[in-house]
Amino acid sequence: MREPPLSNCEKSFLLKAIQEGKRLDGRETYDYRNVKISFGTDYGCCIVELGKTRVLGQVSCELVPPKINRPTEGIIFFNLELSPMASPAFELGRQSELLVKLNRLLERCLRNSKCIDTESLCVIAGEKVWQVRVDLHLLNHEGNIIDAASIAAIVALSHFRRHDVSIQGNEVTVYTPEEREPVPLSIHHMPICVSFAFFQQGTYLLVDPSEREERVLDGLLVIAMNKHREICTIQSSGGIMLLKEQVLRCSKIAGVKVTEITELIQKALENDKNVRKEGGKCGFVESMPKQWITAFKVEKALVDMSDVEEKAEEILSRAETPAEMASKPVLWAPGTAQIGEGLESSWRDMEEEGEVEDEDDEGGIDDPTLAVSQNIDMEDIPRKQEKNSDDVIILSDSEEDEVIILEPEESRKNTRSKHYAVPSAKKATGGKKKKKKFTL
Amino acid sequence: MDRDCCLRVFACEQNLLSRPDGSASFLQGDTSVLAGIYGPAEVKVSKEIFDKATLEVILKPKIGLPAVQEKNQEQIIRNTCEAVVLATLHPRTSITIVLQVVSDAGSLLACCLNAACMGLLDAGLPMKSLFCGVTCALDSERGIILDPTDKQEKESRALLTFAIDSLEKKVLMITSRGSYSIEELQQCIATSQKAADKLFQFYRDSVSRKYSKS
Amino acid sequence: MQIVHVLGLSVYIMLQMAVRAEQRVGQPVLPGDVLLMPLQEGEQEEEENSALLALRVPSQTRLRMTCGPGLRQRGGSVLVTRSGILCHRIPVLYWVDSQQKRYVPVKGDHVIGIVTAKSGDVFKVDVGGSEQASLSYLAFEGATKRNRPNVQVGDLVYGQFVVANKDMEPELVCIDSCGRAVGMGVFGHEGLLFKVSLGLVRKLLAPQGEIIQELGKIYPFEIVIGMNGRIWVKAKTTQQTLIVANILEACEHMTAEQRKQVFAKFSDNMM
Repeated sequence: MREPPLSNCEKSFLLKAIQEGKRLDGRETYDYRNVKISFGTDYGCCIVELGKTRVLGQVSCELVPPKINRPTEGIIFFNLELSPMASPAFELGRQSELLVKLNRLLERCLRNSKCIDTESLCVIAGEKVWQVRVDLHLLNHEGNIIDAASIAAIVALSHFRRHDVSIQGNEVTVYTPEEREPVPLSIHHMPICVSFAFFQQGTYLLVDPSEREERVLDGLLVIAMNKHREICTIQSSGGIMLLKEQVLRCSKIAGVKVTEITELIQKALENDKNVRKEGGKCGFVESMPKQWITAFKVEKALVDMSDVEEKAEEILSRAETPAEMASKPVLWAPGTAQIGEGLESSWRDMEEEGEVEDEDDEGGIDDPTLAVSQNIDMEDIPRKQEKNSDDVIILSDSEEDEVIILEPEESRKNTRSKHYAVPSAKKATGGKKKKKKFTL
Repeated sequence: MDRDCCLRVFACEQNLLSRPDGSASFLQGDTSVLAGIYGPAEVKVSKEIFDKATLEVILKPKIGLPAVQEKNQEQIIRNTCEAVVLATLHPRTSITIVLQVVSDAGSLLACCLNAACMGLLDAGLPMKSLFCGVTCALDSERGIILDPTDKQEKESRALLTFAIDSLEKKVLMITSRGSYSIEELQQCIATSQKAADKLFQFYRDSVSRKYSKS
Repeated sequence: MQIVHVLGLSVYIMLQMAVRAEQRVGQPVLPGDVLLMPLQEGEQEEEENSALLALRVPSQTRLRMTCGPGLRQRGGSVLVTRSGILCHRIPVLYWVDSQQKRYVPVKGDHVIGIVTAKSGDVFKVDVGGSEQASLSYLAFEGATKRNRPNVQVGDLVYGQFVVANKDMEPELVCIDSCGRAVGMGVFGHEGLLFKVSLGLVRKLLAPQGEIIQELGKIYPFEIVIGMNGRIWVKAKTTQQTLIVANILEACEHMTAEQRKQVFAKFSDNMM
C-alpha cells in the first residue's frame, strides 16, 4: 500500500507555522509529547506510547554458547520491526533503509553504550551464556520512532527478570519462577534517545517531531543520553551543517528531557513492582482507559452448560451412522495398494468409454501407479499408455486447445502416449503448466 | 454444575490506533491481541483479484520471526474471515488484517479471531455476520474447560478451537489437537455456541458504547 | 419439549433477532442483524383497526424498503452488513451510519483530492480510496485543448465524482453539467489540510448541523469539506487556523451538549 501523499499546502503551512513557533498539535518548540508506559503480565513486556506513536517491547532470553572472541560475555540482540499495522507504507519482511538505520542506532544506543552488564550474563565461561533478545514492534507510526523504541527497549530490559541458575561443577540447573524468584538484569544506566528536527537548513529546531513534521524536515539529530548527562550516541542525518552552538544547545535540551523521562520510567517500574508485590491486578487490562467510550470490559461470564450433553446426544442421534468402509487393502503390484472401491473418472470422453470400462477400478489409484511404474513388468506398459491417453485429455483441455483442433484425433493420441511412456515426462509438462498459470 | 464453564474477563478497546482504518485490542484474561485493519485499500497488481477483494492476514508473534505455526494460524483466520466478509463488494482492492500478539496466556487463536472481528467492525467493512473464536480444552478429569489458560492448555488431553458465526450460530472453522470422541466434539460445539452468545452480546455492548455519543 | 427446543433453536434465534426496521431506528446495529421490512403506515393502521375496517383490501399495501449503505436485502428480510446507527428517512429509506476512516468513492460526492501525477491528458488524483481517480484536464471551467489549467503535482483539487463504481476507475470533474466551476477546482495555496473520520464529515455537512455556524461566530474562516474525510481550513492567522482545525478534530467524540459547552467557553475567552 502507499502512503497518502503530502500536499503542497500542508508542506507550506507546516513550514510557515514552524517559522512562527507553532506546531500542529499545539506544542511549543521544545515540548515532548506525553509518554505513557504500561506493562504486561509477563516480565519484560511493555507498551510505550509517545503521543500516538506506540511501540511494544518484549525481552526474552535463552542459554547459548558464547561468541568465540568474547567467551565471558552474554549476548544482547535487538530487533525492531516496522509492522504493516503501523503505517500503510510498511511492508512485511522488507529491510527498508529506515529500518536498518533505526536498528543500527538502537544497537549503538543500548549495546555499545555498555548499559547492560554483559559479563553478569555469563553462566560458564566459554560454554554457556545468556542471550538476551529485545523484540520491539512498532504498532502505530505518528513520528519519532527512535525515541519511542529506545524508551521501550530500556523499560523492557529494566522490567525483565531471567530465570535463576545454579552451577555445580559443569552441571547447570535452571530454576522455574516457582522454585526461585527470577533475577533482574544488571543495568548500569539508562540511555534514552531524543530527536531534534531541523528546518530551513538548520534555522528552526523542533524537539520530538511528529509524522507530518518528519516529512518536511531537512535534518535530524538524535542524541542518546543517560540521566548523568553522558552522551551515549549522537547521530546527525539529512546532510545539514550544524554549528557547534546548535549541537551544544540540543545536548542541553536532551539532558532535561532524559531526566524527565528517566524519572517517569522509574516511577512506572516502581508502581508495577508494588502492584505485583501486593498481588494486585497487573497487565494491559488494568491500563486500559475505562472511561473511554471506545473501551469496554466485562467480568467473568458464566456459561450455562447444563443441557450441553443432551444437545450433543440429540445431534448425534439424528446423525446418520457412517457406512462401513472397506478397509481391506488390495495389492495391485509391488509397492502399489488400493483402499476402498475407487471412483469412476468423470473426466473421460464419451467415445472412449468402452476402452476405459475395464480399468474403472484402477482409476482411483492412477497417480500412485505412475510414480512407481519404473519397476512394473513390460506387459503392463501398453495398458498404461492407454490409460495415460486418458490423462492427456485432462491436461490438454485448458491450454492446448489449438493443438487439439489442428491435429487429427488418432495421431494426437499416439504422440501423447509416446510422451507419457516415460513417467518423468508427465512431471515436466505438469511443471510447465504450472509455470504458465503463474505468468498469467 | 461445578465445571469450568466460565469465560475469563474480557475487554476490548476499539479505534485505538490512528493510522489503520480500523483497530481493536482484544483481551481475554491475560491473553491479548491487537488488530489493525487496512481496507478497502490499494492492491498489488500481482495479488489483484478481478471480482473480489484480496484478503490478507498477517499474524506477528511477540518474540522472533513468524514460523510455520503462525503461517498456519494466519491461513485459518483468513479462511474464517473470507467466509463472512463480503469481498465481492470491493473488487480489485485489498483488505489487510494485521494481528499482533501482545501476550499469550492461553486460547490465543480464539483471541486472534475475536480481535480480527472487532477490528473489521471498527473499520466498517461489509460482513454477512459476525464471528467469534472459542477455545475448549478437554481434560481427562474435569471434562470441558472453556477459554483455557496456557496451563490448562498444557494439561489438557485435547484442545479445540471453533469459529462461530452470529447469524445461525453455525461453526465456521474447527481446528483441534489431541484425541476426542464424537460425543465430546458435539458437546464442545454446543458449549462454544453458548459462549458465542455471551461474546456476541459483548460485541454489541462495545459497539453500542462506541456509538453512544453520536 | 426438549427436542422441539433443540430442533427449533436456529429458527428461534432468527425470529428473536429479526425486528421490524422502524423499531431499530436510532439504535446501533451490527453485521448479521436481521431486520424485517417495515410496515407501511397504511398497513399499520390497518392492523390496529382490522377489527373495525374488515372491508379494506389488504393486498394493496405491500412491504417496501429502500436499502442504503450497510443494508442488503435477503429474501423477505434485510441483513445488516456494517456496524453503526440505523437511520431512516421518510418514506422507506433506511441506511447505517458508521464511523469509518477509509473512503470508498461514490458517484456525485464532492471530495478533496491531491494531484499525484500528470499523465497525458489526465491528472492522477489521490482521494483516499483504493485507487487513484483520474481528472481530465478539460474538466475545468474554461479549459480547452490550448488553454490548459495550471495544476501542479501536490496541489489540492475540489471535485465531484462522475464515474464511481466498484468495477471502474473513479473519475473526477471540476465542473458541473453546464461547464461552470461552482466552487470546484484547484484551491488551497495556503491553509491547512487534515483528515477526520467520514462520520464527522457527514455530521459537519448535515443540513441541520450547526457546528460550522457556531465556529464561525468565534473566528471568520474559510473551509472546504470533502466527503472523503479531508478538511481544509484557512483563518486569518496560523494560530487561528490551528485552533479551528483542532476544535473540528475534537468534535469527533463530543456530544452536542459538550460541544456547546466548549464553544461557550471559547467565546468567553475571546471576549
